[in-house]
Amino acid sequence: MLVGQPEFVENPENRCPVILLLDTSSSMSGEPISALNSGLLAFKDAVLQDEQAALRVDVAIVSFGPVQLVQDFVTIDQFNPPYLEARGLTPMGEAVNYALDLLETRKSTYKNNGIQYYRPWVFMITDGAPNPDSPWQQAADRLRSAEMQRKLSFFAVGVQGADMATLKQITPPERPPLLLNGLDFRAMFQWLSDSMVRVSSSTVGGEMVVLPPVGWGQITS
Amino acid sequence: VSWKAIACSAVGKRHLERQVPCQDYGQYAIAAESLIFGAVADGAGSAKHADVGAKLAVETALEKLKAQVTTTELPTTESSARQLFTTVVESVVIALQAQSIMGDYLLEDLACTLLIFIATPEQIAAMQIGDGFIVMNTAPKNATQAEYKLLFRPDRGEYINETCFVTSDYALEQMQVGLCSGHTQFVCASTDGLEKVAIRINDWQPFAPFFTPLAACLDAPLDEAKTYLQNFLESDRLNARTDDDKTLLLCQYDVREEL
Repeated sequence: MLVGQPEFVENPENRCPVILLLDTSSSMSGEPISALNSGLLAFKDAVLQDEQAALRVDVAIVSFGPVQLVQDFVTIDQFNPPYLEARGLTPMGEAVNYALDLLETRKSTYKNNGIQYYRPWVFMITDGAPNPDSPWQQAADRLRSAEMQRKLSFFAVGVQGADMATLKQITPPERPPLLLNGLDFRAMFQWLSDSMVRVSSSTVGGEMVVLPPVGWGQITS
Repeated sequence: VSWKAIACSAVGKRHLERQVPCQDYGQYAIAAESLIFGAVADGAGSAKHADVGAKLAVETALEKLKAQVTTTELPTTESSARQLFTTVVESVVIALQAQSIMGDYLLEDLACTLLIFIATPEQIAAMQIGDGFIVMNTAPKNATQAEYKLLFRPDRGEYINETCFVTSDYALEQMQVGLCSGHTQFVCASTDGLEKVAIRINDWQPFAPFFTPLAACLDAPLDEAKTYLQNFLESDRLNARTDDDKTLLLCQYDVREEL
């Protein structure tokens, strides 16, 4: 005679961290910032379509006019996109450094709580160039070495007017910056959502994650 | 009086949707009244012939053990166990290589994890390459409370979706080996598909309410127990919690008469 069924232990969901590193300097004011804001809403809605991803994708938002943590890590099901306003300069190097520190802190939190996680993404969007006094070169070195150690995957997206040549010196060589088509943040965030769904459902030793094709931007030479 | 064992696998939801075969395999061999060998393997999702690799790895490992290990020649130290498992893994890799040449594909197309154990009622020697788990009950056979023990933590990199395979260059360095003496009445080996429902991850403790019914099912006649297990592995309740392939290899040394 067989009695009972195995019961299941409740483990915390695996997490798939992503930091959105958003340029909110004054040059973004007007249409760009409002397109970016509606893009964030679209991102939330897109990830929510996938029940599992909504619980796993752990998003934080760092804006840089001044560098500011506008949204600390939160899973998408709990995420209320903030309304960003454009002002100030472009402390890009400081922002990259801030994001790298934030990521390390988050990883410690995961480890202390027995939460398993995927390789984090940092996704930067900018329409400008770093401030002349910004330590962007030092930040770029740090970023590239973190990439080499597989600590994260860094993506940079330029909006019309962005200094793509400088961006290219920040991004890892194998993942050059992309220039956004117009202000098509919506398509970009849909892609980011699709990518996050793929990453957050990839299994241990499983299929290599193939990212969806990029229809919203291009590589500039 | 002997070992009683069952091996069961079920394809995961994700593979079912994509019409990919089950890439898990588990099997056992009872070598003598008191001696059992068990092995499970989980084919890598990125490997084209993962299902072939997992099955071949398990079968080769069991053949090699049958040829090399008898009740009088059990490994008695961790280093002799490591030596034994090293030769087993080497022959597994040779078999996989031969298969990849025959099938005209790459060795990596057969990549899989591998967990092996050699158990007597008083001792278990085991190894693990990659993830998955081996849990045993270390309580004496008349104890009222089971004492489940996880032999190895799954071997992963920093990230949840990375692990090591038998076909990796560094597989032998990554191989975890253990030797445990004491009571070994019940052993459960499994691939990672069941990890998050069976093991509490923040302290790596086996979850007793998961294992106790599994151990109890071995008290039933084998065909009944097998149906029970297969139904469990294919249940919606379980599939709601994991979309991966799942394998259970259970064995119990039973001193009682069969009903």
